[in-house]
Amino acid sequence: MSDLDIDALREQWVGTVFQEIDLVVDEDRMLEWAVTCGETDPRFVDPSHPDFQASTSFPTHINAARMLPDDFSEIGSGRGIDGGKSIEWHRPMRAGDALHATVEIGDIYAKTGRSGTMVFIVNRMSFYDAEQQLVATVDWRMIRQDV
Amino acid sequence: MADHEIELGDELPEERPDVSMETVRRFVKAAQMDFPRFTDHEHARAEGLPGAVIPGIMSQGQLAAMIHRWAPGSQILVLDTIFRTPMVVGTPVVCRGAVTNVEDDGTVEVDLTIISEASGATGVLGTAHVRLPT
Repeated sequence: MSDLDIDALREQWVGTVFQEIDLVVDEDRMLEWAVTCGETDPRFVDPSHPDFQASTSFPTHINAARMLPDDFSEIGSGRGIDGGKSIEWHRPMRAGDALHATVEIGDIYAKTGRSGTMVFIVNRMSFYDAEQQLVATVDWRMIRQDV
Repeated sequence: MADHEIELGDELPEERPDVSMETVRRFVKAAQMDFPRFTDHEHARAEGLPGAVIPGIMSQGQLAAMIHRWAPGSQILVLDTIFRTPMVVGTPVVCRGAVTNVEDDGTVEVDLTIISEASGATGVLGTAHVRLPT
């Protein structure tokens, strides 16, 4: 294991916004996403429904161009492992919504097991509507082995 | 389904979502992630995968759809998934869920899994925090 200092990494990076993007929610892609995932609830598959909205996992595919800040510390080798995704909803996302998304390091922590120490880096994307109200937050956990 | 009908330990009806190549191809186009590791078995094997793999976020969407059918009108507040084992496109999977907590505020916690019917391996583990319709 290297002499990686997780506390120092957290201090330096957690909360650092390193990218911002603007997007408009596309109705056709929203609908196709819901249908191919097997949704049958009209809120997600019927554009004429008064509460038509994006299905639960829809925002998870919106990726920033950069996974990490350009000058982020090298940890392990290669791209690492996908540790999973979490989405938290605050209000519905509608077709045609103009959203602003920020990308930051949401957390950094380590877990040690039989295969050594794994470092978890949370890429957090937060979506805001035109009134700057938080719509959804997606956490993507990237795992790298500390060698 | 009203929350008073739901009890700790209740199991959601199992579902076998469509994981055919045709549907995965449609999904990855909608997701703007049309990469051969999801749509071409040979290419995926060359990358060291067991075959073209079902995108993890598609599995996440299938679990959400199962919850919405189980509790129509519910709102998933949080859905957290871990992608444990690659699951191969065209190989049947089964989605399962069980209620692990019932709160007084009308929300429940549901533990979720997706298992490959061919190998028995758990491909996806998850947890959802769900607000039930009043």
